[in-house]
Amino acid sequence: MTITAPTKAPRARGQSQFSVAWSQFRKNRLAQIGGVFLILLYLMAIFGPFLAPDGLSTYSTTNITRFHPPTPIQFRDPETGAFTRPFVYQYGQELNLDTFVNEYRPTDTRCPIYFGVRGDEYRLLGLIPGNIHLFGTGQESPDCNVYLMGGEALGRDLFTRIMYASQISLTIGVGAVLISTVIGLLMGAMAAFFGGIVDTLIMRLVEVLSAIPGLFLLIMLRSVFPQDINPIFALYMILGLLALISWGGLARVTRGQLLSVRELDFVSAAQALGAGNSRIMIRHMLPTMTTYVIVGLSLGIPAAILGESGLSFLGIGAVEPYVSWGSLLAQAQEGGFSSITQRPWVLIPGFFIVFTVMAFQLLGDGLRDAFDPRKRS
Amino acid sequence: MIPFLLRRLVQSIPTLLLASVLIFFVIQLAPGDFLTPARLNPGISPEQLENLSRNFGLDRPVWEQYLRWMGNMLQGDFGLSFQYQQPVLDVVWPRIKNSMWLVLLSTLLFYAIAIPIGVYGAIRQNSLGDKSINVVLYFLLGFPSFFLALIVIYFILLARDATGLDIPVGGMTSNNYDALSAPGRVWDVLKHLIIPAVVLAVSDAAGLTRVIRGQMLEVMRSDYVRTARAKGVSERSVIWKHTFRNGILPIVAGIGGLLPAAISGAGFMEVVFAYPGVTPMLLTAIGTQDLYLIAGFNVITTILLIIGNAISDLLLAVVDPRVKVA
Repeated sequence: MTITAPTKAPRARGQSQFSVAWSQFRKNRLAQIGGVFLILLYLMAIFGPFLAPDGLSTYSTTNITRFHPPTPIQFRDPETGAFTRPFVYQYGQELNLDTFVNEYRPTDTRCPIYFGVRGDEYRLLGLIPGNIHLFGTGQESPDCNVYLMGGEALGRDLFTRIMYASQISLTIGVGAVLISTVIGLLMGAMAAFFGGIVDTLIMRLVEVLSAIPGLFLLIMLRSVFPQDINPIFALYMILGLLALISWGGLARVTRGQLLSVRELDFVSAAQALGAGNSRIMIRHMLPTMTTYVIVGLSLGIPAAILGESGLSFLGIGAVEPYVSWGSLLAQAQEGGFSSITQRPWVLIPGFFIVFTVMAFQLLGDGLRDAFDPRKRS
Repeated sequence: MIPFLLRRLVQSIPTLLLASVLIFFVIQLAPGDFLTPARLNPGISPEQLENLSRNFGLDRPVWEQYLRWMGNMLQGDFGLSFQYQQPVLDVVWPRIKNSMWLVLLSTLLFYAIAIPIGVYGAIRQNSLGDKSINVVLYFLLGFPSFFLALIVIYFILLARDATGLDIPVGGMTSNNYDALSAPGRVWDVLKHLIIPAVVLAVSDAAGLTRVIRGQMLEVMRSDYVRTARAKGVSERSVIWKHTFRNGILPIVAGIGGLLPAAISGAGFMEVVFAYPGVTPMLLTAIGTQDLYLIAGFNVITTILLIIGNAISDLLLAVVDPRVKVA
């Protein structure tokens, strides 16, 4: 008979809410995949100018290449079949006299692709200057261009535009949700704290904002600004407008939560200890909203990205020279319906939207489950 | 029923008033006033300008202008659209009707798609069908409705080129609409409506389907469902009477809130499919600074929405006897 000595169990340490949530999150493979994709997307946006072969709005005014088709990259020499430096064929345009449509045909001229080539200048994050691009055709032959994903309405490289658009599409949604969260928390806290007339006013405002359809409210707010505003200002405007119309739900929840928390013991204890109103508000009451805010942020961001893309698609978002994925998609409509079939590559920006929104949703669902005590395993 | 409706009406007056104040002051923020774009328009005579200026009291203080604007609206005068040279109501109303058809049809389809799929997902939880539906829905959630519409148009055009079928994309009527008989006209409009309505319904249904599935699963675990099964109630009755009716309560309560989203969503379809609804009109109105049109239209939709909310409250009372309307 052997007696197993009782192994000394490690003393259970109290776990914070975040460490519990983190360990839950670690088990959720899908959410992690979403998170990794998001990191990659943001890296892509930051290094976009480097990844893109051209500058934001580089196009030739002499050789107009409207809706240039994608140029497949050739790795083998067509005559010998041996591997060679990657190249693309230069395309020539010809007017088809039967349909009066400009047709692009590859010519025999080869445009070799170089890596780490010098080209248009850019600034990473607005600070670090550079002019080296991951790939490109160099500056020796100006008519040589690589169109990885085709060209757009002015003949600019669509891939380059998508890279630059990602910077705007990925920041405006996040910025708008962050601002609307701050407004929502503040308004909700004010309504709960002051009560009376302030409460009534704020809650009525929330009700009114939700009573006007969002799209029309945005259109109305946009109509206040002149048509030809500064492009940079247009970006801030759209960010502000998106934030302005979406804080209502959070304000309502915050108010409800704070009103119920106000009666709890820890608040009375803080009061008894002589804590001031603002300290009780910020240190004791608002932190009870943390979980809700984190989950709300992660699920609100994809909605805001969709909102921004929609506005830009309608032409009331990002304006030239800046682009977002939505305004790139608007080109699919140019020239009537029938032209989409001739240039399906203009739909590519949409897949970037879908991909981003999916990644955010996977992450958001994962976070929601991680913070939800009922879903713990 | 009638006292309930009256009470709803009275309750909605402050919201409506506040909304109109908000709309009015947002428009006031615009540089210049209502008549600035009109002054630049050579088509409007100085007498007309004078007249309008007096009508809307542009020389008076702001609050008085608001009261006049509001007063005119109560009498059904929403002002003049500068772009169309017509009263706002005449411009907006036919387009609102067009948009309503689209919204109505797509809302019907929306429930016709979301309810069966959501219920199926809950009954056959974790089956292959449920799992594959979930994956598809997850994809759909990420699709902006206009992008889905563009893809659908692309494939329809390909199909049209391949088969030669005349599938209408875009617009509301065919070129020969005026020559058609009455049933022919209805059929023609329906043919044009169905594709945008289906696209809109499918792109919205993803969210609702997931909610219905979740609700059904939650109710199915409750004691009274087990009791019903133990008593030998038929499966069909368990699902549709005991589970479904309780599961959809939060959804019915949210119908009113869905309306703004449905109208906005229909806006994108109108733009993509070149449908003569309100949104394309509003977008051109931004360009021409046709402020009365935008303001008047916003007031009208707000009214329609408040009506929609009252209807959703009534529906809730029909579905859930515990909610008393009286």
